[in-house]
Amino acid sequence: MGIKKPFSCTNSLYIMVHSHEGGTRGIRNPPGPDEARPRSEVWPGHYQLWPRAQSSVLCADPPARGGCRQSWPNGQCALRLSFRTSNNRPPKPYSDPVTPRVSSGWLSASLLFLLLSGPLKDLCKPEDMKVVKDCINITRSFCDLTHVWVNTTDMYVSRVVGFREKAELVNCMGSFFLESDRPLDPPEFEIVSFTNHISVNVKFQSIDPRILSEEELQFYLAFIEEHAGNSVKRYQPQITGNITENFNYVIDKLIPNTNYCVSVYFEPKDPRKINRSPLKCTLFQPRRESESSESATMGGIITLFLITAVFISTVMILKRIGYICLRNDFPKVLNFRRLSVWVFPELPPLEKVATVEVIHINRKKKVWNYNYDDESDAENEAAPCVNSGGYTKHGLTGRLCPASTTSASLEDCSDPNAEEPYLPEPKGDAETPMAPGPGPWQSEGTSGGYQTRGTLRQDPTSEEDSDSTERSEGRIVFNVNLNSVCVRALEDDKDSEVTLMSPSRPEETVVLEDLNETESSLSVASEERTQLPFTDPSMECLRPQDAPSDQSDTSESDVDMGDGYIVRQVNLKKFN
Amino acid sequence: MTYRCLLQMVLLLCFSTTALSRNYSLLRFQQRRSDTVCQKLLRQLPSTPQHCLEVRMDFQVPEEMRQAQQFQKEDAVLVIYEMLQQIFSILTRDFSSTGWSETVIEDLLVELQGQMDHLEPIQKEIMQKKNFTMGDMTVLHLKKYYFNLGQYLKSMEYNSCAWTVVRVQMLMNFSFLKSLTGYLRD
Repeated sequence: MGIKKPFSCTNSLYIMVHSHEGGTRGIRNPPGPDEARPRSEVWPGHYQLWPRAQSSVLCADPPARGGCRQSWPNGQCALRLSFRTSNNRPPKPYSDPVTPRVSSGWLSASLLFLLLSGPLKDLCKPEDMKVVKDCINITRSFCDLTHVWVNTTDMYVSRVVGFREKAELVNCMGSFFLESDRPLDPPEFEIVSFTNHISVNVKFQSIDPRILSEEELQFYLAFIEEHAGNSVKRYQPQITGNITENFNYVIDKLIPNTNYCVSVYFEPKDPRKINRSPLKCTLFQPRRESESSESATMGGIITLFLITAVFISTVMILKRIGYICLRNDFPKVLNFRRLSVWVFPELPPLEKVATVEVIHINRKKKVWNYNYDDESDAENEAAPCVNSGGYTKHGLTGRLCPASTTSASLEDCSDPNAEEPYLPEPKGDAETPMAPGPGPWQSEGTSGGYQTRGTLRQDPTSEEDSDSTERSEGRIVFNVNLNSVCVRALEDDKDSEVTLMSPSRPEETVVLEDLNETESSLSVASEERTQLPFTDPSMECLRPQDAPSDQSDTSESDVDMGDGYIVRQVNLKKFN
Repeated sequence: MTYRCLLQMVLLLCFSTTALSRNYSLLRFQQRRSDTVCQKLLRQLPSTPQHCLEVRMDFQVPEEMRQAQQFQKEDAVLVIYEMLQQIFSILTRDFSSTGWSETVIEDLLVELQGQMDHLEPIQKEIMQKKNFTMGDMTVLHLKKYYFNLGQYLKSMEYNSCAWTVVRVQMLMNFSFLKSLTGYLRD
């Protein structure tokens, strides 16, 4: 029996094939999509069809024409398309239990197909459905369509017709859109068991790029199933970025001493066509001993590192605050390592120290009208006198100023009309110590001769102070800025000093309120005295800065303290 | 003044070029994802094309869809946008006779609209250039093709087989879209 011509539109479109006698071979029904079946191994990129029992209307003829033939009356028929992505295994014939079992004769089949988007012609014409040359009168259950169905972006409608003898036993059709219908074979993967997790390494490079491109990998995510006993847990790893080679997924939170099996597969376009990989199993047994030793080692290293860091930081802090490794940058004068220093120690220069008591006096400020003009007549003004030593002296009262003086200010000071002492404005502290004066008081008793001696008017604002001589009680306290005091060494004028010490004179007490400042100022004054000795006692002058307002008349007395200092004591007659 | 404007123009041109380059890469990724999702959704719509062979029709599929051709990325943007727009328009028609899930159709429409929103800024910018390119010819062919689809559905009264045939065409359209997406490169 040869190949018959296809029927017209009034009959089913199929091709009769010859039949063989003998044997009980028949088309075996493949298992369902969800049933476990031996993995079919196909040459890479080969497409194969397996007839599968499934109910369907097989005929293209309208029922009214009566040409519609049913399929295998007791069974079902369907076509199944499969792909293969790996490149290393040869195809194997597919074998399945035969249902129903054909009692006699051979069953041969042929495969036909058409391209749905092909040229639109009369469907009944034989050109509309093409027969696969390698699949005519075949007795195997699969047909290789690799080189036949090349358009992956089109819809293929296929038909398989099987006959035994003259009876049509199989007549099934199916449609396939290759791009979306091709099931993806699972990728290769490896599993490694660690102390607390299992790592699944999926190898994407084993995928044929013709089947699944690099970018499509990101969308057809690999599902990982974890089988532990009777429970199955599914993971969907998130593939981010471009992953073209390997993808690693970690399964944690595992139960110790449990056997875990992992299967990997691509998310199918058709949910019914999941193609799982074989399970790979491993026993999850955390290594506690090694883990503990590792953890102990790590802990020891970390502890040692911390101790070292703390020690170093402590040393640095102590060094920085100077507690240790203090720098010995002493000045040279403190360097006692020199032998000459020990042999010939240098004694520090002696300092002259004197005790002075200063009493502050508040006086009315007198505005000094200084006229630095050379032609100006300083005699008519209360201008300070400047001697050759650079001191400025001011006359306190007319009584205190010396009779003869070359200084104009002294004449001013001796002006009996001057009721107010020419006291310069005090600087700063009212307690400025004042030098004990040999100055103005001394001037009273000098050989140069003061015209008068009397009490130092302490309160310029008070008329009563001008009559201080009448007051014998109290003390007058006034501030004397020792820096502006003319002090001279009285070694040459000891007689005058003695004169000053005559008891006929009323005592005058000058109280230094600030002994410290007094000492310093006295030392300065002493130096000045030694450096700049006055030859003219008339040049000695004292310029008290402040005078307390409550002080009135004073009486003066000088006390020789030695070393050229004379303490002028002024006794206040009236002390508020 | 002139030099100042020139500098600003140069900076703006560089920035726009950089921005567009980055957008094409992002567009490619988004379009690829959208195509895959749409194909999966279409696969969820049950149909048996082998039972509707006799109602096939020649829709004058553009030659650019039949045979692979080279596209500029600007042309690819125009063609993709036009196809998405047309598919969206077809899916909004009456499909009640098919028994398809409305949820699936809605998901498809949402996915298409989202992708069109991503393409619209670049599509408008390309249209402003007003240069007649091959993409414009392809768009014209596509307009005719989708018009035929719409007329086919209307003439078949939106029956199940008509929608089955149109669905097959849409599967082919998304395959063509995936190939066009590959041209969206910097």
